[in-house]
Amino acid sequence: MLRKNTSSFERVEQILILSTLFLLVVITVQPILNLLAISLSDSSKVPLMSGLTIIPEKLSFDVWAILFQHPRVLTGLANSVFIAVVGTILNVVFTALMAWALSRPKLPGRRILFIFVLITIVFEPGIIPDFFVVKKLGLIDSYWSVILYKMVNAWYLIILIRFFEEIPNELIEAVELDGANAFQVLWLIVLPLARPALATITLFYLVYHWNDFLRPMIYFNDQDMWPLQVVLRQFVVEGDKAAMVGIEAMGNYDGASQINMRSLKAGMIIFTIAPVLFIYPLILKFFTKGTMSGAVK
Amino acid sequence: MFISLRAWWPYYVMILPGIIYFILFHYLPIYEAKLAFENFRIFGDNIWVGLDHYSRLMTSPVFMQVLINTLIISAMKMLFVFPVPIFLALLINEVRATGLRKFIQSAIYLPHFLSWVVIAGIFIAALSPSNGAVNDIIKGAGFAPISFMTDAGSIRWVLVFSEIWRSAGWDSLLYFAAIMAIDPQLYEAAEMDGANRWQKMTIITIPGIVPTIATLFILNIGLFLNAGFDQVFNMTNDAIRDKIDIIDTYVYRIGLQTGQFSLATAAGLFKGLIGLVMIVGAHNFSKKLTGKGVW
Repeated sequence: MLRKNTSSFERVEQILILSTLFLLVVITVQPILNLLAISLSDSSKVPLMSGLTIIPEKLSFDVWAILFQHPRVLTGLANSVFIAVVGTILNVVFTALMAWALSRPKLPGRRILFIFVLITIVFEPGIIPDFFVVKKLGLIDSYWSVILYKMVNAWYLIILIRFFEEIPNELIEAVELDGANAFQVLWLIVLPLARPALATITLFYLVYHWNDFLRPMIYFNDQDMWPLQVVLRQFVVEGDKAAMVGIEAMGNYDGASQINMRSLKAGMIIFTIAPVLFIYPLILKFFTKGTMSGAVK
Repeated sequence: MFISLRAWWPYYVMILPGIIYFILFHYLPIYEAKLAFENFRIFGDNIWVGLDHYSRLMTSPVFMQVLINTLIISAMKMLFVFPVPIFLALLINEVRATGLRKFIQSAIYLPHFLSWVVIAGIFIAALSPSNGAVNDIIKGAGFAPISFMTDAGSIRWVLVFSEIWRSAGWDSLLYFAAIMAIDPQLYEAAEMDGANRWQKMTIITIPGIVPTIATLFILNIGLFLNAGFDQVFNMTNDAIRDKIDIIDTYVYRIGLQTGQFSLATAAGLFKGLIGLVMIVGAHNFSKKLTGKGVW
């Protein structure tokens, strides 16, 4: 009797917990699905569509056709991909090299080098001095201003050092005794063993570059260099329609002037996050594991 | 000593690019921050003016408002955002079916990987007074729509809610990991003693994650002046700017938009120095309290 009571009480609890979590999932996902639905709806229907719907009305690919032939969007995509790929490769190579050396416990000067890195974490003089350094290095209007920034992220460096430190020292020393040099040990032993950690920081860096908008905005005067995030910001946040449709190009796209701006904005947002959604399964696989094993943020 | 350095040279070759990077992009800016004590001149050398810009800042009503906004927004986030992932982790822990739990986690982690430009776009759409989801609900309940993004009374709450939307899911992962690390035998023993779900949560789970809560709370105190540049920068507009303008957006605005480089550098350096004291203090305090520092 008593047993039956508690179990039905527990069932009510379980329903409450699950419905709360289900509500949170809806709040997280619905706004994105709504924008997707609006971007896929016919422009005549869009003005009356509710923010609550997730089903397109009178399915239409007009917005996506425009996005895929829009020069600003296509150069934006190319710029984003270029910055993210080149940036991430440099990030991972130089972070891994530095982490491997700093993970050797007997490296002379190790402590000083650690402090050298830590100072950059605890003290940031702000964006204006950054701007003047980039200017003096002659990197304004150069992709390098954006690619090189955070080339070695101090936090990720520390995560990787901690990971390398866990590799058994006997293993490393055994290979060293066989005559392998520091580069060979890194390439043959350390990197293969650290594959999950490397995958994690690779994805961290990739997402960082993909989402960066501030530095390209500050350092690129030339609009043809803008990555997607800056194009999106100009259009959706600043509400600058001309940046998207183009004053001179207003008539050049089939029906561009009839396209609903709400629909075009929605499409542009989805367009910008699509690559993130694409690699999200990988992120889930590696990030969650990396975070679980103690590497904090 | 000389021999050991010779043996270690490949390692220094590996570190060298990183060192050059840190010097160029982190130590040169520290040197450039001397601009805070100078008057910027386009031609010729800057002129040393000492603390002039600081006395200007301290007597500027705009900067005082910016300082107050920074503290208010950070405090609101501390009060209303910080606890959410803790509750979330406790809730997720009660979901027994692994598949369902993974699905919920996959969904709520997602916004963490979206830029604030994207999130601002999503919130502008969802909060739109004409056809945004939130106002459609408000109108459906028979009330007048609210223009949240331009309303002085609501904009700080928009910052709080969008921060929860973006980070609560992902941050719950840290607490969830702490819960997973609790010894399962504790739960088994409690079950033998007839403890119910609520008792297990309050007696075992919550005490088990208190160290994590303490560490993250202290870290957040250390980062108190970082009220969220990317967020405010993308959500601000002329109607509500004086409500949410924070130190970082102020530095950007007066520096890179109106060209008052020296004053902006002074404000940025002010934040950097106080931030330095706070984060080092937080690290030492955390180390003393939990044995685990911030880094």
